[in-house]
Amino acid sequence: MPTREEWAVVLFTLRVAALGTAMILPLGVAAAALLAGRRGPGRTVLDTVFSLPLVLPPTAVGVVLLDTFSRATPLGSALAAAGIQIAFDWKGVVLATAVMSFPLLVRSALTAFEEVDPRLVGLARTLGCGPLQAFFRVTLPLAWRGVLAGTVLAFARALGEFGATVMLAGNIPGRTQTLALAIFHETQLGHDDRARVLAGVTALLAFLALWSAEAVGRARTRRAA
Amino acid sequence: MSLAPSGARHLLCAAVLLIALATGRAAAAAETMVFAAASLADALTEIGRAYEASSGHHVVFNFGATSDLGRQIRAGAPADVFFSADRAQMDAVEQAGLVRAADRRDVLSNALVVVVPARTPRRIQSPSDIAAFDRLALADPQAVPAGVYARRYLESIGLWARLRDRIVPTLNVRAALSAVESENVPAAVVYRTDAAVSSRVRVAFEVPREAGPPIVYVLAPLAAASPAARLFADELVSARAAAVYRKYGFIVLPPR
Repeated sequence: MPTREEWAVVLFTLRVAALGTAMILPLGVAAAALLAGRRGPGRTVLDTVFSLPLVLPPTAVGVVLLDTFSRATPLGSALAAAGIQIAFDWKGVVLATAVMSFPLLVRSALTAFEEVDPRLVGLARTLGCGPLQAFFRVTLPLAWRGVLAGTVLAFARALGEFGATVMLAGNIPGRTQTLALAIFHETQLGHDDRARVLAGVTALLAFLALWSAEAVGRARTRRAA
Repeated sequence: MSLAPSGARHLLCAAVLLIALATGRAAAAAETMVFAAASLADALTEIGRAYEASSGHHVVFNFGATSDLGRQIRAGAPADVFFSADRAQMDAVEQAGLVRAADRRDVLSNALVVVVPARTPRRIQSPSDIAAFDRLALADPQAVPAGVYARRYLESIGLWARLRDRIVPTLNVRAALSAVESENVPAAVVYRTDAAVSSRVRVAFEVPREAGPPIVYVLAPLAAASPAARLFADELVSARAAAVYRKYGFIVLPPR
């Protein structure tokens, strides 16, 4: 069984993953809505940029984030002057996990938006809806399952993020240590039994998250059939 | 359109759930955060527990490679006290203006040993026998103090050129120890104090202190540290702490 400290790590991991996912939810939906139904090079470029964190080594994303938010940079020092510390702080964990899980949300939401019959949106427009109104009253209500499934998927990805997190936030027990980092830390110290316990907890959480994403998705196909 | 409100409600529920999960209390700030070399883990944990019991202050440790910790502190990591396994990393933190020269204390020294798995011990008669291992774990010899000390020693006895391709670099000295404990690597160079806390390794060779590079552990509270953090930094150089360091095999340097 996990110890008290390990439960704290579990709770911390759930919190940063949730906060990161909550941060990217409006951004990801907006990005997907922007791309949906468009064609041409603009869309391809944006689609590729949004998907980059899926295929880049997480450590490469970590370098970019560290270069952006370290105190040695203008942005980082401006934030530090305002009392906001990103690098090697829990906010860094949130940022790293958010960036890494962003593509999963955008891609799921994009697919869901494009499954909505464009005639329905067109109909709403002819009935006097503005583009925003049509989105909120027609597209989103029809596509919400896909958005929700993407959100859960992004949350699951955030739970397990390692590479970008360790680069931007380090591995500070009680401050920035998530489950993925704790597993690595314990094996480095030769505490394989603790690492196994933590890996078990992580597997359980990931299973629950994926299962609920799957359940939401299944309901969607059943309804569509 | 009956789906519309239900769908929106579901999404709203998800958002509320996420925010509720996220807005728990963040890590408490009223505690002393000590960034310390991995080799100090056992001794400092013991000193910290005793101090917490007697003072009521809360002390949190971040043990890792000194080079990593120094880099993190320079990037603004929330450290109150830095306990470095070499002078170079403390120098870098001081040059960044984060530690005052007057606050620095040379506290400890240590010795290097070659360890082998306790179940399959191999003897080393002379330093040159170290070259017989097909792989040798070291804390990263480019950056981490334990690895840098080990590399300097191996260079000084003329073995580095032969061994460098057989080095397994690890993140910190305890990871080098653990690689031998798990018998994944036949030998490692670690501190004498690391070997002493493990029953799964045996010391095959101890580097005589006069033959090895001078090893110095430097302690300093950060310039911005709270009075409570400074109190704990004082505790770490107290006679009580010295007794604990000696118990774990460290060499306590005389105060200035």
